[in-house]
Amino acid sequence: MALRTMLRRKRRTLITGSTVAFGVFLSVTFTASGDYSYTNMIDTSAKMGFGHVTVQALGQNERPSVTKRLSGVSEIGKSLDNVDGVSRSTVRIFGQAMFASASKSVGGVFIGIDPASEDPADNIFVNSIKEGKIFDSTTGKKIIIGSKMAEKLNLRIGKRMVWTSTNAEGEIVSQIAKVSAIFSTGVNDVDSAFALLPIDRVRKTIDYGPDEATMVSVMLDDQRYSDVMARRIETVVGEKDREVLTWRTTQADMSGMITVDRASNYLFQFLVGLVIAAGILNTIMMSVLERKHEFGVLLAVGMSPLRLFGMVLMESVALGVVGLILGIIVTAPWYHYMYYTGLDLTSMMEEGSDIGGVLVDPVMKFRLYKESALAILAGVFSLTVAAGLYPAIKAGRIPPVDSLKAG
Amino acid sequence: MQKAVTFLAVSLFFGVLSAESRDASEILNEIDDMWRGKSSYALFTMKVKTANYTRSMTMRAWSSGKEKTLVRILAPVKEKGSATLKSGNNIYTYLPKTDRTIKLTSGMMMGAWMGSHFTNDDLVKESRLQDDYNVVIGFEGERDGESVIEFSLTPKPDAPVVWGKIVIEAFLLKDGGYYLPLKERFYDEDMEVVRTMTFSGLKELGGRKLQTIMRVIPADEPDEFTEVIYETLEFNEEIPDSFFSLSGLRRMK
Repeated sequence: MALRTMLRRKRRTLITGSTVAFGVFLSVTFTASGDYSYTNMIDTSAKMGFGHVTVQALGQNERPSVTKRLSGVSEIGKSLDNVDGVSRSTVRIFGQAMFASASKSVGGVFIGIDPASEDPADNIFVNSIKEGKIFDSTTGKKIIIGSKMAEKLNLRIGKRMVWTSTNAEGEIVSQIAKVSAIFSTGVNDVDSAFALLPIDRVRKTIDYGPDEATMVSVMLDDQRYSDVMARRIETVVGEKDREVLTWRTTQADMSGMITVDRASNYLFQFLVGLVIAAGILNTIMMSVLERKHEFGVLLAVGMSPLRLFGMVLMESVALGVVGLILGIIVTAPWYHYMYYTGLDLTSMMEEGSDIGGVLVDPVMKFRLYKESALAILAGVFSLTVAAGLYPAIKAGRIPPVDSLKAG
Repeated sequence: MQKAVTFLAVSLFFGVLSAESRDASEILNEIDDMWRGKSSYALFTMKVKTANYTRSMTMRAWSSGKEKTLVRILAPVKEKGSATLKSGNNIYTYLPKTDRTIKLTSGMMMGAWMGSHFTNDDLVKESRLQDDYNVVIGFEGERDGESVIEFSLTPKPDAPVVWGKIVIEAFLLKDGGYYLPLKERFYDEDMEVVRTMTFSGLKELGGRKLQTIMRVIPADEPDEFTEVIYETLEFNEEIPDSFFSLSGLRRMK
């Protein structure tokens, strides 16, 4: 009967269904762009050295210092490579340094790496090398610097520079290095401040032992499971002088930004949902009010108010289903385009736009996780049904005699 | 301030360098020996001119060997009492207004020392020429009517220094029989001059004739300079090691 009623007013059904479909479209647009950009930023920041999960000496994150060393890093790395969900673990040494040439000097951050264990796919600096090539030894006096640093220090491939840091005893130490490669990530702050050094050369310079480092950074198969994986990793390599942290802690600025942005996104979607629900409520309410006489007849011939309530609610459900189907039909091509091609917003963004030092992809794309898709469908459907509740209750309470008289 | 002490050391080095002594390594060792010195005390004025400001400071400095130096500002009043202690590779700054001592981190090493064209790193690095450079005599003979000797210092392959070359030019003080510095030129790796130090103001200080004015001019900002003018120099005074300590840094007024 509900279906028949819907088909009786095809235009109204189509308009209401389109409203629901529009809700699906908007929700997918906002959620999928968020899922893509958040994942992209989280993965990018993880590739800047810390990984999705970081194993480091206790207190290192709160107050970074070269004196806080993580011991037994080889064993930790081997243990983590066998953990399900871990894509790769990499031993790295982080520290602050002053980089100088005869022309100028700049302060920055060095990352001691083992080139053999670095996958360009998991290291944004290596992946962004524009000139030269990564050093192949862990002991050589080589350095990879960012394009902006090279510009400031007037350096080219093969040129000498000096990096000065603090060793494990707090003494200032200097080391010479020749530029072996220059990277360009597109983020000015990153390209002017970061440098990669051979890890054993760093160890020797700052007095670290052969099995000591700042951290073991862990890349996961899926960043969404960082919290679960951190707990799992803790059980494998956790000790009282170590801390296992997710990107939420090691990249707190970015994490905070994502949390605020995600909350704003949800709030906006909720408000849009309310407007759509009000429209549906209005449509169904009108439909109920103009059928008062009809409902009176139904009640008079013996239909119970509960069944009448159910019938009107079923109309909402059916509208919801129609709306979702329409929504999927309308949204699918849009999603397909945005998933594979996206919108290039380069002209609207400043070059090298970043959030907390993490490059923002100028191409807006979509990525919708399964659970997000289900949440959208369930949310929009629920709103549609909820919008039908009041009219259904109203229908169930219609007094039959008065309704017949009114008709 | 190490530069000031550097100047002292350079002056002393050239002061004792005999015309007969021509072995470059030997000369470098003599530089090192003189750089260390036993001890020194200096009263000097430092003038700094940049595109944004011009300032003048009067300071007192003490050194012991080449690893320990303490500099304290006497004027201007608002900076009076501020001090820098160099002990080995470490540099500490004391600020009397906040009564705090700060150990300079590696990231602060290339910051300007007292707003001058010297960096904190200069204070540390300038004391290790013999470790970091190979030295040869590049020129020796008459130049502009003076008997001149020119040393060319090229960095050792593993030396953590930024200069591609340093050229030190000195002249023979005829009535003293020893050499005094005229000019130091610092080159980058492409052999472009990056900064120049000139020495002038020949005057008797500390019992010998020395160049008492040193001016540093960065090549990329030729209108800027830092000038150190010595008013008093004393050598080989007894200074206890405890003088060059953190408590000494805070205690001394």
